Amino acid sequence: MEERRGLLDLAEEWVERGRSLTGPDVDLEIYVQESRGLTVKVYGRQVEGLRYSRSRGVGVRALKEDRLGYSYCTGFHPRDVERAVREAAENARFSAPDEHNLLPGPTDYAQEDLGIYHPETEDMPSEDKVDLALRLEGLTIAKDPRIRRVETAVYADAVSEVALANTLGVSGSYRSSDCHCYVFPIAEEGGESQTGFSFDLGVRPSELDLERVAEEAAERALCLLGSRSMPSKRMTLVLDSFVASEFLGMLAAALSAEAVLKGRSFLAGKLGEEVASPQVTVIDDGLLVGGSATAPFDDEGVPCRRKEVIDRGVLLSYLHNMYTASRSGTVSTGNASRSSFRERPRVGASNLFLQPGKGTREDLIRSVGEGVLVLQVVGAHAGANPVTGEISLGALGLRIRNGEVEQPLREITLAGKALDFLRNTVAVGEDLRFLPFEGSLGAPTVVVEGVMVSGRG
Amino acid sequence: MTVIDEDLAGRVLKSALAKGGDFADLFVERRRVYNLRLEEGKVEENTSGWEAGAGVRVIRGEAVAYAYTNDLSEAALEETARAAASAARAGTSAPVDLEKPLCRLPVLDRHPVDVDIEDFPREEKIALLHRADQAAREAGREVIQVVVVLGDARQEITVANSLGEVVSDNRVRVRLVVQAVAARDGEIQTGHESPGILGGYELFQEFPPERAGREAALQALTMLEARPAPTGPMTVVIANGTGGVLFHEACGHGLEADAVYKRASVFAGKLGERVASDLVYAYDDATLTKRWGSFCYDDEGVEASRTPLIEEGILRNFINDRKRAMRDGVAPTGNGRRQSYRFIPIPRMTNTYIQAGTASREDIISDTRLGLYARKLGGGEVNPVTGDFIFAVTEGYMIRGGRLAEPVKGATLIGNGPRVLLDIDAVADDLDFDTGMCGKDGQAVPVCTGQPTLRVRELVVGGIAEVS
Repeated sequence: MEERRGLLDLAEEWVERGRSLTGPDVDLEIYVQESRGLTVKVYGRQVEGLRYSRSRGVGVRALKEDRLGYSYCTGFHPRDVERAVREAAENARFSAPDEHNLLPGPTDYAQEDLGIYHPETEDMPSEDKVDLALRLEGLTIAKDPRIRRVETAVYADAVSEVALANTLGVSGSYRSSDCHCYVFPIAEEGGESQTGFSFDLGVRPSELDLERVAEEAAERALCLLGSRSMPSKRMTLVLDSFVASEFLGMLAAALSAEAVLKGRSFLAGKLGEEVASPQVTVIDDGLLVGGSATAPFDDEGVPCRRKEVIDRGVLLSYLHNMYTASRSGTVSTGNASRSSFRERPRVGASNLFLQPGKGTREDLIRSVGEGVLVLQVVGAHAGANPVTGEISLGALGLRIRNGEVEQPLREITLAGKALDFLRNTVAVGEDLRFLPFEGSLGAPTVVVEGVMVSGRG
Repeated sequence: MTVIDEDLAGRVLKSALAKGGDFADLFVERRRVYNLRLEEGKVEENTSGWEAGAGVRVIRGEAVAYAYTNDLSEAALEETARAAASAARAGTSAPVDLEKPLCRLPVLDRHPVDVDIEDFPREEKIALLHRADQAAREAGREVIQVVVVLGDARQEITVANSLGEVVSDNRVRVRLVVQAVAARDGEIQTGHESPGILGGYELFQEFPPERAGREAALQALTMLEARPAPTGPMTVVIANGTGGVLFHEACGHGLEADAVYKRASVFAGKLGERVASDLVYAYDDATLTKRWGSFCYDDEGVEASRTPLIEEGILRNFINDRKRAMRDGVAPTGNGRRQSYRFIPIPRMTNTYIQAGTASREDIISDTRLGLYARKLGGGEVNPVTGDFIFAVTEGYMIRGGRLAEPVKGATLIGNGPRVLLDIDAVADDLDFDTGMCGKDGQAVPVCTGQPTLRVRELVVGGIAEVS
């Protein structure tokens, strides 16, 4: 607790000192971040890579006559922070004035335990973490003789502290720990190879369920052996929860009010409209207990909260920070977000998830009868465009016939419009999972009707 | 410029190898960055930053331990070295002579900066963004949004290693990225252009911001006219410039020695064998003057080089880092790169391209009865194990009866890297390059992709319409 107080002291002190450097007509925000982490990569039953990280830095946002400037430095040396303060103020001079550039004022933050920190992540010796990664690889290979090797098995953790203060009186800090593990096994048979993947995440290493990760990852590689393409056809898709979470990433980008205001969202102008089928309820919950994006306040000091952004198909809200809220005549939803002290806050989802419905993946496959179970998509960055809402992705999966999975598929693509995917979502399963990458996105298995699947043959 | 003195570096390396190891190095970096972003005609982001950091690496066999810090004091560097050393487990290691003094290699100045980033005033930098924005908006009334990002950076690195070398490299880079959005009847299309240089603001003498703005806008406007792309297998002509991203993604990553070692490459074990049609000559060349992906020394202090990858269709070389060169018993190719001191170096491409052939672009198109002309490719993804890939065609046209016909949208190219290389049946003489940030293992580094116009006999096009 001593150390935590320390970081906040630094932030508050620099707000004061910064003001004395820039003069009273400049508002300042100081964001202090410190983190320590370990990443263990295992390959061929040996440690391939160990990475210890120790990082600290300060980000300074300056507002002068509605003009915004930003600067940052690594380390906490007063000389460097002073330069960053001066430079942020100088950059502000050269920016365009915008009355919606605002800093939040002070508010009370959630006092309850958010379940985002556990000392075990810091206390567990490195050797034990190395053993976790080695065990994950070993368990995965032991699943089946066709799993000859693992492309990589990883354990990673980070403990970070954030402190934030501004000249309007905002002041807060929190500490969090995150850990995750994942494995990419390679299944081989008759000259063909297929890659699988699975993961787990939590706030402490001992929470990670290595057995389940190994089992799932192996199965996801093995079931694709013997794959081939299929003739082009309009089909019902069962999107596996990993795949559905990736699609949710596209939705998260389009829900950002910044994207909406700037004409870069396929959801622009659709507030209050039915954008999805009644099966679809999407929640962004910055206070989700134990969530990997959970915090008492967002990255500019607005309290985090839970809100339904899509309720039974109806678009209720975009995600806002102070700036986008002011421009839209509403209040911040607590979604200011930055990847580190190197960036000024923009807009981002917190823990964004598709509310689970009923039924296991098997139930949904049975109910579909004929279709494709999609297990992996490739090209999500290029082929799922949140600006236009166009989707065109490569995919791997399994053909569903008579309610059972059979022929594995490769070299197929899925194409269509995001709004059609949302509107043609006919079922959502109960198996909600959060992905450890690109924020905190979660989805269960999802069934979408009438999607164009292209292939050869 | 010297980021760290030799004596201190020597002491840190000694601590790093205190528990054994085959090799150790210390990487020290200082970086200054300046980023401007214009949207809705206004400069809305104006950010400058300073980074300082150091990383210590110990290699033992196939294992790499790495530790980094933002603190460049001797005490912090020693602590960092001890963290890296603690990962080395008991066992044999190659003899490393730490008693001989470190030897400084010459600083090379092969990419002179004409207009340095500190000498170019902030006001003029901002003016560049407005010029690009205005040109894009003037290209057509349907251009509804323009985003212009300008970034410049000065990176100074020093690498000291247990071979006794100390190497420094200074890199100045400038890049402008323009994204234009055009809309008509609720339909939205985007276009991109991104000139970049290992150098200074002289970039814009050769490539005015107006040109970047206009080209991005024209791309978006053209695609508004586009019809849905057909689906199914067809002949594909890939235009010069951005088309090189396909070779980069679908083949280049498979030529990186770490992927080869892990057999996560379709090219493993194929050196000296035919992997492409005999028209294909491909190179990775970090020495190209002032190209975005160039440097004088790589991030492990190995001098930049030009590496033949494929010549006359025969696989010649892989590209490696020091670890793979040491472990595989081959010469280093100077491809050990990292995003910053926060990451370990790994084998990476620099400027990777297919060399110009002898055909003309016009002849290739007029010789194609029915096909797709992919003028601009967006991002893509590749399964390294199988070589299967998918790419978005951001600007595409049908070829009908040997002529360019209507633009088509929503097309993707689906195929297999090695099969595409064998299926290249024409290569034009119009090699051109494009800039990009290549991501691998969570690290982004500047690269150029390049190629002349070329034709692939057959690829699966993923679209939404029937072929007609």
